[in-house]
Amino acid sequence: MLKSLVPTGRGSVATSVALIGAILIFAFIAANFSPGTFAITLLTGLLRAMLLFLVAAGLSLIFGLMDILNFAQGGYFMLGAYITFDVVHPEAGIMSFGSLIADPTMRFAFAITIATLIGAVLGYVLERGLLRPLYKRALFQLVLTFGVSIILLEAVKFLWGPSPYSWTVRLPIQESQFRIFDTPFSTYRLFVIAMGLMLMAVVIVLLRRTRIGIIIRAGVQDPEMVSALGINVRAVFTLVFTLGCALAAFGGGVAVPFLGATNSLGATFLLASIAVIVLGGLGSFEGTAVGSFVVGLGWAAMEQFSARPEIGTVLASMSPMLLLALVLLLRPKGLFGEDR
Amino acid sequence: MAQNRLTRFLRNEWIYIVFSVLLVLFPHIVGGITGSSPFGVQRGSRFIMSGAAVYWMSILIDIFALSVLVMSYNLMFGFTGVISFGHAMFFGLGGYLLGMVTQMTGLPPDLAFFVGVALVIVVSAVLGLGIGFATLRLRGVYFAIFTLAVSEMVLIYFGRWAVTGGEDGFALSTIPVWIDAAQSRINLYYVSLILFAGTFVFIRRLVNSPAGAVFKAIRENEMRAQAIGFNTLRFKLLSITIASVLAGCAGIIHALLAKKIGPEMLNVSHTVDALLMTIIGGVGTFTGPILGASGLTLADVLLREATITIGSLTIDIGDSWLLILGLIFVLVVLIFPFGIVGTWNRLRMRFARR
Repeated sequence: MLKSLVPTGRGSVATSVALIGAILIFAFIAANFSPGTFAITLLTGLLRAMLLFLVAAGLSLIFGLMDILNFAQGGYFMLGAYITFDVVHPEAGIMSFGSLIADPTMRFAFAITIATLIGAVLGYVLERGLLRPLYKRALFQLVLTFGVSIILLEAVKFLWGPSPYSWTVRLPIQESQFRIFDTPFSTYRLFVIAMGLMLMAVVIVLLRRTRIGIIIRAGVQDPEMVSALGINVRAVFTLVFTLGCALAAFGGGVAVPFLGATNSLGATFLLASIAVIVLGGLGSFEGTAVGSFVVGLGWAAMEQFSARPEIGTVLASMSPMLLLALVLLLRPKGLFGEDR
Repeated sequence: MAQNRLTRFLRNEWIYIVFSVLLVLFPHIVGGITGSSPFGVQRGSRFIMSGAAVYWMSILIDIFALSVLVMSYNLMFGFTGVISFGHAMFFGLGGYLLGMVTQMTGLPPDLAFFVGVALVIVVSAVLGLGIGFATLRLRGVYFAIFTLAVSEMVLIYFGRWAVTGGEDGFALSTIPVWIDAAQSRINLYYVSLILFAGTFVFIRRLVNSPAGAVFKAIRENEMRAQAIGFNTLRFKLLSITIASVLAGCAGIIHALLAKKIGPEMLNVSHTVDALLMTIIGGVGTFTGPILGASGLTLADVLLREATITIGSLTIDIGDSWLLILGLIFVLVVLIFPFGIVGTWNRLRMRFARR
């Protein structure tokens, strides 16, 4: 049961650095040695890493604390994307109250808030209503979160239909671009990267420096001992689960302007985030942070690589699963994981 | 002595014997009641599949294929305690491999059919064994993740692969006449009945054998089974390989009935079906998967056209069938974790003890 939140020695750090170095070299080759394309690939990779982190953070903490792999986490991401899209595009969807706010930027911020709140409420309901009665039966919890992920997918198809939506309302921040090596990159994406890094820092400080963070870290080590010290561990479980789902829905909200709202978002991001937490080592939060950089950069590099006509786009859409399968086969204990 | 064994057999198994006889006679019974021929309507040398008997046979073939899939899943999940989220891959690959051999190799239909079936069995076994060998040494959750990732990759690949018609799939047109669903559906009915009954008997004998005892020991406590001295990896691999082959065979029947193969056969919804029907029927029971599969198939057939109207909102049940299945799934996991047969057995045991 021993799980660690600290990197285990110099070995894992060295492996991570080597891995990221190898991915950077691969990205440079994939970019045909052009510095502009390389920079864009890197920024796209960082963007992916931030989105993956938003899904994987909850996944990792929930797994560490409660030993549940929440298969519905991707569903929350997808739901966040659809709700945000819907509020910003009142004519397309079911929540027409979005049209009350005229300014698109304000409406977008409002939409993300709504999506995050709905994610939090649904996360709370899932934990309190459905998972808590099954605490003694881990296999059934896994099966249940899988069932909830199907319900979320089918509910989204029922409410918004099966065909994908692409973002049409132009936000001022999306329109503005900047150039690196004569290649344009949207400021909005840079903004998302900055926000993701900030959130990553906030979560790490929360875990390292606050009382609730200490309780969560102790809970990852040994929930029974924490509960024996008179702390309501169940309430901590609920809090972490709710926050995790809210973070995933928030991630979907910030991603929808450039990814569009599609049915496959949930499965794609779920599998890629599982790759992140497995690579980082199940139960290690620093591992999750490093893992999201590795998988995000690797995914973007593979996409760049499969843009070549002789490779084909199949590889690009398979790459999250391919990365996951490779990670499971080669390094199942993860970079920062311990034998469990 | 022989007399004694026979009477004991009859006393214990009479219900299965009655059911087998009913299923064997089923096409003729339905044909007699509705006045339609189970062979279809003859037009010259060809038959046209129409009439109530033919319609009900196709529903039963569907139930047989699905039951085999669910029984195979139950062997893994219910009896060995191994959870896989990629069972649809074996089901879909069964259909795809048979289709590709019969449609694309140019062999004579009969030969191609048997080569296809043999290939499905070999490939499913090798694939199941390979996946199991790669990941089963790890904790249970890794196996579930890995199977999900691999099956999603296979789904994406076949959805884009030009050779198999990509998103549209392809039709099965060069099937031998004797098992062609559009010519002699009654033969397909009996072939799938044989597969269904064979799977049932085989799984029962396997689970009641010494190997089955090890399966159950692994499900209850793998460490303990290992400590007693069993090579648990080997037994889990056996369970997964058998389940994969059976799922591939179920896929063959499904493809033969639909006469069309497409990426929807690889969709995760077939895994959900298998998981759901195992849980609804009863995890780790013999008849539970069959009850789950037939109950849900019949519900699907009966409710496909139905709609619910709540105020101004009209819900088409056929369109949101998966959503309803998902809701049923969650409710059953919460309220009846032992399923229909499991709950029934528990109630019976409680009354017997008094």
